[in-house]
This record gives sequence, C-alpha cells and structure tokens, in this order.
Amino acid sequence: MKAIEPWVESPLRTFLAESSARVVLLMTTAGQVVAQHGFTRSMDVMSAAALGAGIVASTAELGRTLGGGPLAELVHQGTRQGIFLASFDTPRGRWIALVVFGGESSLGLVQLFFGRMVTDLAVAAPVEEPRRAVLAEDFERDLNASLRALFGR
Amino acid sequence: MSLVNFTAREITCKLVYYGPGRSGKTTNLQYIHGRVPEQRRGRMISLATQADRTLFFDFLPLELGQISGFTTRFQLYTVPGQVYYNATRRLVLQGADGVVFVADSQARRFEDNVESFQNLQENLLDQGVDIRTLPVVLQYNKQDLPPELILTPAELDDALNFRGVPSLGADALHGSGVFETLKQLSALVLQRLAMAPPEEGVHSS
Repeated sequence: MKAIEPWVESPLRTFLAESSARVVLLMTTAGQVVAQHGFTRSMDVMSAAALGAGIVASTAELGRTLGGGPLAELVHQGTRQGIFLASFDTPRGRWIALVVFGGESSLGLVQLFFGRMVTDLAVAAPVEEPRRAVLAEDFERDLNASLRALFGR
Repeated sequence: MSLVNFTAREITCKLVYYGPGRSGKTTNLQYIHGRVPEQRRGRMISLATQADRTLFFDFLPLELGQISGFTTRFQLYTVPGQVYYNATRRLVLQGADGVVFVADSQARRFEDNVESFQNLQENLLDQGVDIRTLPVVLQYNKQDLPPELILTPAELDDALNFRGVPSLGADALHGSGVFETLKQLSALVLQRLAMAPPEEGVHSS
C-alpha cells in the first residue's frame, strides 16, 4: 500500500482487511492519486485515477442534466471481479474511491466497510499544518537536466 | 492543483492542453509519447470518437525524475476542442496547474482561436481561477503550412497574448516546438510551486 500522507493508511488498511478488496485507489476529484493498494506500476495508477475521476465527474454532470443529483456510486459486477466507484467528502475536500473486488468479497461487504472507511478518514484527518516551501530556488537546474534526459536534447 | 507528498518526496502536477478543435492538442501528446523513453511514461489514453476526435480527454503520465530531491510527475491532459463539448472541457480543466493553449495558426481558424481562448478564461473563472494567476503558454501550431495560409506568431500574439505569457511557434506533427512548449510550462508551474507556498499534502476542491 502507498499513501500520500500517513494518516490515510490506517483507515485504508482496515478497509482492505475487512472488505477483502483486491485493489483500492483513493484520488482527488482532479484525478490526483491520494493512496493505492494493489497496483504494480505507478503509471497505471495515474491512468486509473484520471479515468476514475473522469467517470465520476461525467456521471455527476449527467445526473444534474437529467434533473437529479450526482450519482452517489457506480458499480460494475463482472463474472470474475466487481468494480465500485464512489465519491465522498473528507476534511481535505471531496475524494473518490475506486475499489476492485473478487469472489472472496461482495458488493455488500465493500459498501458496508466503505462507509466505515469514510468515517474513519474523517476522524483520522489531522489539523492542517502550516504550508512550507517545496522546491529550492535553484530547481531549474534539476528541471533542465530532467527534461534533457527525458527528451534527449 | 499540485499534489505534494512530503513523506515520499513526490510532486504531481496536472498540465492541460487546451484549444480549438483540430488545433493539434492530441498531436502534441502523441509526439511526446512517441519520443519519451518507455520507462519514463505511462500508456497514453485517448477517449476519442470513431472519427478520432477527442471525446473526453487524452491522458499521458510522465515521470520527470528528481527535481530538488522530489520525484516529479506530470499528468498531461487534452480537452476536446469542439464547441459542443464544453461540459467535458470544464471537467478536465478542474485542478489544472498549468495550461498550454494550442492555437491553430491558419488564418481561417482565427476566430476559433479567439473563441476558444475566451472559453478557457470563462471555464477557469467558473472554477474560481483567474487566468492571470495560472501558468499559461501559448503554442502557435501548424507554422509549417505555407505562409499565405497562416498568421505569424507576432500576429497571433497581438490577438491572444495580451498578458505577455511565453509563446512559441510549433509544428506538432513533426515535433518542432513540442518539447519547448512543455519545457516552458514545466518551468512556470514549478516556479510557482517554488515561490508560492503550496497546498500541502492531499487536498481537493
């Protein structure tokens, strides 16, 4: 499992243990990855987050267009695995969860423990720390070197 | 907005290629995808119509490497350019750290460029973002076409670049100006991150 901030880990671990989900991805509504379990390539994680955020955003718009509210969750039940996609509020803004589960779990279990994870995350979120500088002022030297390596020029 | 993981020392930034339909946004990403070493990029995802017009977005994740001790990743998105896809453009634009506006240099597309640039400003404002505060680079694409068909970068600057942001001529199909554009925007986005106190950790709006 990999989480951007340590406080996300415990609620996510509990969810994984209790729901028996195979893959979990938490992301912001802009498609930025917050935490993940079960992916092997970081690039795949980013792609899944971009697509998941796109699906949630477009179904929310669809819901509004059809005169209802945004769709709370989306579920696909396949023969070998199911996918659960839902957005939820946290003290750090609105996030999205993408969960993949197999025969060892069920949609009911995922939904049940997902609700608990949302509550646990709300409790675990620490008070925001003061902002601090990220990059050194001379970051451009590193950037130029990285871009040269990336683009071969 | 940029996502900064202080624990793992990682930065992830979202860069969006915006502009009128058929101006070359997808072509920019395709060129980058084709040239960047495989281990430094992910799969390029294109949600397109049967006629290969972008329906929702194209997405290309890039790993820049270490910058100031942070593993830095860029997520490149394009928006659908056609006028009627404004709802999806707004969705993709959400949380952008920087925008490349890809203009079509053909004189007959002049109005489309102006309209799309105004649309960019409106969609940003809808999300509470003043375009003057966001890193933006203008790319004048298709500068390889015969001179009688296109406007020069100076002429396009007059029409679009009233803020004096970096602007470049390009031929995205053959790669001219593509990396230079990305480099300019990368520098602006990271400069902003270095100078302004960033949102720390995991936030979304």
